[in-house]
Amino acid sequence: MKLKKMVSVMVCAGMAASLAACGGSGSGGSTTAAQSGETSADTQAADTPAADEGADAAASGEGAAITLWTYPIGSWGNSEVVNSIVSKFNEANPDIAVSVEYLDYTSGDDQVTAAIEAGTTPDIIMEGPERLVSNWGAAGKMVDLKDLWDDEALEDISAVSEAVVNACKSSDGVFYEYPLCMNAHCMAINYEVFEQAGALQYIDQETRTWTTEDFGKALQALKDNGVATTGVVYCGGQGGDQGTRALAKNLYSAQFTNDDHTEWTMNSENGIKGLQQLVDWCNDGLLSYDAGAVASDELQLFANGTIAMTFCWNASNQANYASQVSFTPYAVAFPSDDGTPELEGGIYGFGIFDNGDAAKIEAAKKFIEFVCDDETQGPVSVTEAGFFPVRASFGNVYEGAENEETMSAFNSLMQYLGDYYNVTPGWTEQRTAWWNMLQGIFGGNDVTETVNSYVDTCNAATQAAMGQ
Amino acid sequence: MKRMSPYKTISVVVIAVLAVLFIFPLYWILTGSVKDAAAINAAVPQWFPLAPTTDNYIRLFSNPALQWLFNSVFMAVMAMILTCITASMAGYALAKKRFVGKQLLFSIFICAMALPKQVILIPLLKEMAFLNLHDNLWAVILPTVGWPFGVFLMKQFSEGIPGELLEAARIDGAGEAQTFIEIVLPIIKPGIGALAIFTFINSWNDYFLQLIMLNSRTKLTISLGIAKLQSEMSTDFGLIMAGAALAAIPIITIFLLFQQYFTKGITMGAVKG
Amino acid sequence: MNKKGLSPMQKALVRRETISAYLFLLPALIFFVGFVIVPMILCLVTSFFSYTMTEFRFVGLENYFKMFQDEIFIKALVNTVLIVVVSVPAVTVFSLWVSSIIYKLNMAACSFFRCIFYLPVVTGTVAVTVVWKWMFNKYTGLFNYVLTSTGVVDQPVSWLGDSKTALWCIILILFTTSIGQPIVLYISALGNVDQSLIEAAEVDGANDMQVFWKIKWPQIMPTTLYILVITTINSFQCYALIQLLTSGGPNHSTETIMYYIYYQAFKLNQYGYGNAMGVILAIIIAVFSALQFKVAGKGND
Repeated sequence: MKLKKMVSVMVCAGMAASLAACGGSGSGGSTTAAQSGETSADTQAADTPAADEGADAAASGEGAAITLWTYPIGSWGNSEVVNSIVSKFNEANPDIAVSVEYLDYTSGDDQVTAAIEAGTTPDIIMEGPERLVSNWGAAGKMVDLKDLWDDEALEDISAVSEAVVNACKSSDGVFYEYPLCMNAHCMAINYEVFEQAGALQYIDQETRTWTTEDFGKALQALKDNGVATTGVVYCGGQGGDQGTRALAKNLYSAQFTNDDHTEWTMNSENGIKGLQQLVDWCNDGLLSYDAGAVASDELQLFANGTIAMTFCWNASNQANYASQVSFTPYAVAFPSDDGTPELEGGIYGFGIFDNGDAAKIEAAKKFIEFVCDDETQGPVSVTEAGFFPVRASFGNVYEGAENEETMSAFNSLMQYLGDYYNVTPGWTEQRTAWWNMLQGIFGGNDVTETVNSYVDTCNAATQAAMGQ
Repeated sequence: MKRMSPYKTISVVVIAVLAVLFIFPLYWILTGSVKDAAAINAAVPQWFPLAPTTDNYIRLFSNPALQWLFNSVFMAVMAMILTCITASMAGYALAKKRFVGKQLLFSIFICAMALPKQVILIPLLKEMAFLNLHDNLWAVILPTVGWPFGVFLMKQFSEGIPGELLEAARIDGAGEAQTFIEIVLPIIKPGIGALAIFTFINSWNDYFLQLIMLNSRTKLTISLGIAKLQSEMSTDFGLIMAGAALAAIPIITIFLLFQQYFTKGITMGAVKG
Repeated sequence: MNKKGLSPMQKALVRRETISAYLFLLPALIFFVGFVIVPMILCLVTSFFSYTMTEFRFVGLENYFKMFQDEIFIKALVNTVLIVVVSVPAVTVFSLWVSSIIYKLNMAACSFFRCIFYLPVVTGTVAVTVVWKWMFNKYTGLFNYVLTSTGVVDQPVSWLGDSKTALWCIILILFTTSIGQPIVLYISALGNVDQSLIEAAEVDGANDMQVFWKIKWPQIMPTTLYILVITTINSFQCYALIQLLTSGGPNHSTETIMYYIYYQAFKLNQYGYGNAMGVILAIIIAVFSALQFKVAGKGND
């Protein structure tokens, strides 16, 4: 009796709910549509008066309050440093108030997504082209920065690298990022452990490069000398993927994408060979992998001296871990069959979110110009990030600095910078698929099959993203 | 007291051993917060901090950590108070009043009470943006109060209120509000206590909603603040432990102080569908 | 509800009671409708759209078709069910066992144990998770240190990195953070069981087991229902653990629907698809809650 009653109540509830839902879908649908219509109308409406007010306030950006969100790129994640940069900016532009928020790489993207959907995006954001250009730029959320990219800037930046210029603009040629600095991600070894194992002979210390064959010999030498874990291919996800990518692709000089950045190509013969080699080394106990470790875990192991090499190194990490290491971390390029690696690059700079307020956009541009182009501030901004300038005119920004020697070592690796394919559409899906692929092959799945399905997933994502 | 049976003795020993697993994380947080990097990363775990340092706390307070703590407390307390008020009123009505739509309403509450917030996150985000509440602690508080679990709980408690008492109050000429405050509330007080604890802890730990709704540094909660102290390329364990200790100590103190009040008489009323 | 034959007077009374009931319900309904029902309806509506950062296009049931061809979604669904099915009974049984032992100890011992089991709850999920992450670390973690130094295993185990162990690690942590509340409640409930009934049963020669099942169990049934409900809620919401420990890996072995919704919505900006999964999850949970309520509620009649 009771059961029957309960069931009938449930059925009624279900029907009522579906009725409510049906009723709701009509009105709800139109509300949502109307809302999104409103948003764009709002933006236009906001644009027009701002444009009307015209040249005076808007063009100078005076009196505007702007927000800057930074990812932890070197000391750009450190409030003291950023505050000092802001106060220097305010000396020249006392009318523009800049407030800063600090994102982290674990949840930063989610917060930006939430802010975009909630309409509370900052004015300026600091990161790389894979986010600013391919993600938010392509979604139409960013401002065209062509005023910042004047002829002088174009020439100065092109002189360092044409690839930087190309990375900062979308496929239709709109600049969504104004770059500040760049670096080459490399690996590092524990110099003393290598020395002791007699493995230093396999590295060309002149150029800081090595061949795949020598890398294998070095692993063997380390193992023979009692190093329990030589290195860890971390595949726990969340950042640092450039290290594992560079390692896998350089072993047999594979290409990660095609030249047009429209297709993923790690399932080429050389790509699979490289990944297979890593699996073989792991099976032979020469190398280790851990699907439970992320880049920071691997770096900590390296800093503790537990492992003899890290695949996630750069100038900024060298500085961060300096106080923790009791050995010499020696930066070296990734091994490649021909001895000429193609390193993964990082390009960091600024983009402006289109919040529909011309005055704020102007103010934001002023800030970016000050940080990146100012003759005295520019080089300082670069050294705070701990990387290298994208502008030829800055010269050696580390000249006379305490860390000049270390930085010149990293600088010497810059010549091996490879293609900046991070702007390929579908990048986010690719990153996740990459981790899953590594987890699969090290977990014992067939390499060719797993890599093929990884490439299929990525290509599907890329086509979907380009189709939009 | 009777002599303990062997079963009981063994059980107590097993429970005591398991208890270590439960106390260890807190112990490790407290000791970790006063260790330096070398001690934290030692290959052989340093069971007791040999060279205590306050360095982690100094670095922690270079962030607005007290502000985060305050935000967490404000958020959890507001959610708790509002939930207790709305839920005890609604629960009483559902249990003791006869009205059209009662069964339907209660069924909907039941179906919705275990719903994870992830499900409606994007619409909720849009709604908060529309209400101009994004990046505001109220954006976290309001959805927490809306969760129907509290109504369910308070309905269960209110079932235990004797109908004769309500009837007597009505005959004495007490109004609805007076009856509720003078008769109902004292009876369901233990239930309100249980609900208060549950709501406080749930909203304190609801990391995800906080992550999506808040972004200014001064508006973060302590859970979010701690999570954000981890960066991509390094994990500053000592700093995070200091943050965790700062977050845990106040709640544990409250729990210890009010333990008796928390736990006395929390016995559920009869279940009625 | 027989409404026939009511006098006008009685009708007026019924109407008055209905009005007063809704006035009492009003504050809760405002919050519930405003922040649960309205978003839920929006969620349902947008699940029929291809809804991303840049587009909003009606696609009918496409998201739903896509979902059931999505292997990861299926895997996430299985994992979610597994977590709930394992952790809810485990937490309930374990907490009942612990409580039934410690509520008879003297006051101090009882308080002591109650506090200890409650500690992970009040320490905060994020903080506890960071410690567990270290304990599970393959190279420097506590478990491997203990196991290798006592010679139980020769090779360190990658607890969170092995698809065979990762989900169980998550369930274990979830277990330790969910157990506190049920223990507190059971101790309280057991302490309030009518002593005279127990004594009477003992006089009649009932053994401990009989006393438990015949006398105590029916009386603590409402508490059990409450515990089932809160544990279910906790289990469905174990998002932070996965985000902070495994991000759904390795090889999607710790993927849950909650995490996958988050991933689709916040990493890939597939809001429509995420919302469609949300609708399915909501239906599953609604059915699950209703069933649970029915089953536990029936034993009490």
